[in-house]
Amino acid sequence: MNRMLFGALALGAALAAHPVLAQKTVLNIGMASADAGKLDPHLSATTPDKALFNFMFNGLVRFKPGSMNPETIEPDLAEKWTSSEDGKTWNFSIRRGVQCHHNYGEITSADIVYSLQRAADPKRSGFSSDFKDFDKVEAVDANTVRITLKNAVPSLLGLLTNYHGGNIVCKKAAEEMGENFVKKPIGTGPFMFGQYAPKESVTLVAHKGYFRGAPKLERIVYRYIPSDASRDLAYTSGEIDMLYGKGEQVWVERMRKLDNTIVDVFEPAEMAVLYLNTKMKPLDDIRVRQALGHALNINEVVQFKGAAVARAAKSVVPIGYLGFTDDVPLLKHDPARAKALLAEAGYPNGLTVKAIHTSLPGMLSTIQVVQQQWRRSGINLDLEIVEHATFHAEIRKDKSAIVQYQAARFPIADTYLTQFFHSSAIVGTPTAVTNFTHCNDADAEIVAARSEPDPVKQKALWKTAQQKLMTKVCALPIYENMLVWARRANFDFGIKLEGSLNLGPVVNELSHFK
Amino acid sequence: MSRGAAIAAPRRGFVHALRELRRAFNTNITSWIGLGVFLAIVLFAVLAPVIAPFDPYEQHIIDRLKGPDATYWFGTDAFGRDILSRLLHGARYSLVIGSVATVSAMIIGSAIGIVSGYVGGRVDLAVMQVMDVLMSFPSLIMGLMIVAVLGPSMGNLIFAIALTAIAPFARIARAPTIVIKQRDFIEACRALGFSDLRIMVVHILPNVMAEILVLGTLWLATSIRVEASLSFIGLGLKPPIPSWGGMVREGFEVILDSAWLSIFPSLAILLIIFALNMLGDGLRDAVDPKLRGGE
Repeated sequence: MNRMLFGALALGAALAAHPVLAQKTVLNIGMASADAGKLDPHLSATTPDKALFNFMFNGLVRFKPGSMNPETIEPDLAEKWTSSEDGKTWNFSIRRGVQCHHNYGEITSADIVYSLQRAADPKRSGFSSDFKDFDKVEAVDANTVRITLKNAVPSLLGLLTNYHGGNIVCKKAAEEMGENFVKKPIGTGPFMFGQYAPKESVTLVAHKGYFRGAPKLERIVYRYIPSDASRDLAYTSGEIDMLYGKGEQVWVERMRKLDNTIVDVFEPAEMAVLYLNTKMKPLDDIRVRQALGHALNINEVVQFKGAAVARAAKSVVPIGYLGFTDDVPLLKHDPARAKALLAEAGYPNGLTVKAIHTSLPGMLSTIQVVQQQWRRSGINLDLEIVEHATFHAEIRKDKSAIVQYQAARFPIADTYLTQFFHSSAIVGTPTAVTNFTHCNDADAEIVAARSEPDPVKQKALWKTAQQKLMTKVCALPIYENMLVWARRANFDFGIKLEGSLNLGPVVNELSHFK
Repeated sequence: MSRGAAIAAPRRGFVHALRELRRAFNTNITSWIGLGVFLAIVLFAVLAPVIAPFDPYEQHIIDRLKGPDATYWFGTDAFGRDILSRLLHGARYSLVIGSVATVSAMIIGSAIGIVSGYVGGRVDLAVMQVMDVLMSFPSLIMGLMIVAVLGPSMGNLIFAIALTAIAPFARIARAPTIVIKQRDFIEACRALGFSDLRIMVVHILPNVMAEILVLGTLWLATSIRVEASLSFIGLGLKPPIPSWGGMVREGFEVILDSAWLSIFPSLAILLIIFALNMLGDGLRDAVDPKLRGGE
């Protein structure tokens, strides 16, 4: 009997020690980027960075993992909360015993106050405009935070999720490290920063003291592989277990044919929009902007991407967002009209427009389709193609006449309209966010809608805002692309993945290899 | 009779050099194959607007990633553009960039080499040390550095490639110049009061021309390869211009689904480089006295 027991134990030990037979605890992810951007959740809005923050940070509240429906918002670092009747004063009870990564101590009200003030500070955050209606954030006691608003915000809880400025950073670490925080970001999430190899990877390690329980995975190796083909090869050769997919039907169909592979197509659909700089020549002439719109064939772009992953955009706010309307003057594809408008504007022989563009394959292929459509109407789009992180830096310096930006935001019209079309968000200004157009025509409606208590009137204001922006041709919405990732079938997220506002799959303490 | 004609006997002269070259060249069949293929590619490139079945920029989204068939002989790319048409038009860019860069390098490099060898002394030492530094960088790395700094454009590509090729031309022109300048007929030229410029252009250049032409042929292949390599790594011509290296790169993104996107432009690069190398090797053999058993 003893001999049998010994034998069984020896076999078990041998199996556990064997690299193949032991349960895999390292998740290798392939991301479409040449390198990390800024590894600070309050500074970076790039898809590759946001997908990584998803594993490392908590908010006061969170979307139910795998969902991005605002109705599913649930407690995260805050256990519970109350709000005043006018919606201007909110009290949050902070969960006790939550540990910051790398022994930076237990999270308290002071951390939450610091983090939200940091997120609201334009010098330390790229999302400060989201918090401009915040009057005060204060610690009532060690475990209670009070937020006082100047005006009621359409969805305060949305701002406090683990997304953009809502990600909570640990005060002691952020203060100690200052600008070096980007080299070792400290949060409270299930995985913590381990190592960064430039242009190669970021390694995250399990946060054993995570308040929801120790993660089942030991490590996540987040590898930067910008080439689609190289990423696909890395997957098929077994180097990586999960990868950022090419948002095209051809890719989805091919990956679905592979053994032991699941393709996840999930929300949010990132909306690709061409933002037109209305202050830069020749786009300062509305006839030129209208010509660009008429020369654009949205249906052809959707056909190019594939119906399984893309749908035509209908407005400057994505479909399905609270406040979205398709009752807007969308310019119809009409190359003859485009040529006539160009001639009217003084360009009978066509014109050249310069634009800075990312080398990210999915976006680059879209702009090349658009480039050819415009060429048919005599518009030469001269592209300066740069690496994705450089693209983000350059377009924020107001250097590009046209910016193709693909994004998803908290699903409410206000966030999109404020960040992309309010005058306070104009790039190159101290409060800049992502208003590349310089349009300010809908400022009044955007501001009024924020504090409008009547939902019907609020929607009407958002509708007017969209109509004004589309009439002035501040931007040309193109299409909405669902997120596409593929993974090994034996890798289980531990949740049902239907949506992820951080644009990457949810990998948390429950995720594991079967 | 001019003073120049009186001392013409020792120099080979352009016509004589070319005649000698042609005689030796005629004996080498691979050179003729190389020349034939190269001229055929040049012809296709020149006639591209006439013979290409489609506009190389026109996208046929519905026909994207189609394999070779009766309509699209070489298939279509991810945007539904005809690969054959893009290859034909791409040849024009490859040849223009390659030849302009090579000819520029040939003129500048030869001038530097002849002057350096003729003047000699410290000037020669300094110039050759600079050339050594230039030659220490592999041509692709040098091209990559320059284009990365200046930005990708046709002009910058030509400049970058030309700069990498100047040093080899300078060296190939300098060595025979040092030998020739010590010969009697050059001494005679000096005695007759010819200017240094005249001696270098009229009496030395024709005697080193054959070697420079051979190197030019071989460097044309290198220039085309460097342009293709820079385009492959994204530092070449901007999209949608159909450069061969850029086409291989675009095809690489879908190589698992549609290998022909990369195969045809790769074959085109292979073919032209083979042709130019065969041509260059033949020319080299023709001008090499050891190989032709002369002198």
